[in-house]
Amino acid sequence: MNVGEIIFLITVVVTLGGAAMAVLSGSIVYAMMGLVTTMFGIAGLYIYLESPFLSMMQILIYVGAVSVLIAFAVMLIGPLYRKPKEWTTIGKFAAALGVALVSLFMFVRFVMETFPRAVTPSFKITTKEIGRLLLNDLVLPFELISLLLVVAILGAIMLALFSRGNK
Amino acid sequence: MSDLLYNNQHIYLFVALFLLFCGIAGVVYRRTLIGMLVSMELIMNGAGLNLVALNRFVSPENGYGIAFTLIIMGIAAAEAAIALGIIMLIFKKYKHIESGELKEMKD
Repeated sequence: MNVGEIIFLITVVVTLGGAAMAVLSGSIVYAMMGLVTTMFGIAGLYIYLESPFLSMMQILIYVGAVSVLIAFAVMLIGPLYRKPKEWTTIGKFAAALGVALVSLFMFVRFVMETFPRAVTPSFKITTKEIGRLLLNDLVLPFELISLLLVVAILGAIMLALFSRGNK
Repeated sequence: MSDLLYNNQHIYLFVALFLLFCGIAGVVYRRTLIGMLVSMELIMNGAGLNLVALNRFVSPENGYGIAFTLIIMGIAAAEAAIALGIIMLIFKKYKHIESGELKEMKD
C-alpha cells in the first residue's frame, strides 16, 4: 500500500465521517460543518478520479457559496435551542433508518452488478474539452441552467420583498 | 496499475450510495428545515460523485458526466438560494422553523 492509497483511504473516511456527522449531530452548526467536511472529501475524490477542474469547482461552489449561504441562514434565523433534544425519539430514528435502508438495499444490487471494465489510465478530459462539450452538444442544458439561475435570483428577491411588505 | 485501491470503481459507488443513505435518513430524521436542506445537499453531492465515477470508469472517452456534474452544482446553488429564502420567510411569519409544526403555508 503506497502513499496514494493511504491518502485515498483517509479521504474516503473523512467523506463518510462528515456525512454521518451532518445527519447525526444534534446542533445545526455541527451539521453544517459536517457538510463542509463531506464536500472537501468529495473534492479529494474528484482529484483521484482525475478531474481536478471539477474538484476546484466543488470547493469554489459548494464550500465557497452554498455553505456560506447556509451559514448566513443559520446566523439570521433565531435561537434554535428552544426545544432541546426533544426530537430524538426512538420511533423517529427507527423510521428514518428504515426508509434509508430500503433505498440502500434497492441500489446495492445495482452497484454490485456494475462490473468494472479494464481501467484506462489515460483519462484526460481537459477544461478545453469540457468547454467545447458545454457549448456544442450540451448547449440546451447549459442555457437552461442559466435561465434557472436567473429565475432563482428573481425568486429570492421577490421573497425578500414579500417578507418586507408583510411587516 | 489497475489493482490500485483508487482505481476500484466500487469504492466510489459505495461512497455515493452512503451519501444517498445519509441524505434520505437526514431528510426524515431532521427536525428543522435547514437540517433537511443540508441532507438534500448530501444527496446532490452523492449524485455528482456517482456521475463522475461512472464517467471515469465506464465511458472514459467523453466528458458528459463531468459536464452534468457542473450542471448539478448550478442546480444545487439555485435550490439552496430559493429554499433559504422560503425558510427565512417562514421564520419571519411563525418565529420557528420546526418542520413538524408547519401545518399550512398560506395564511
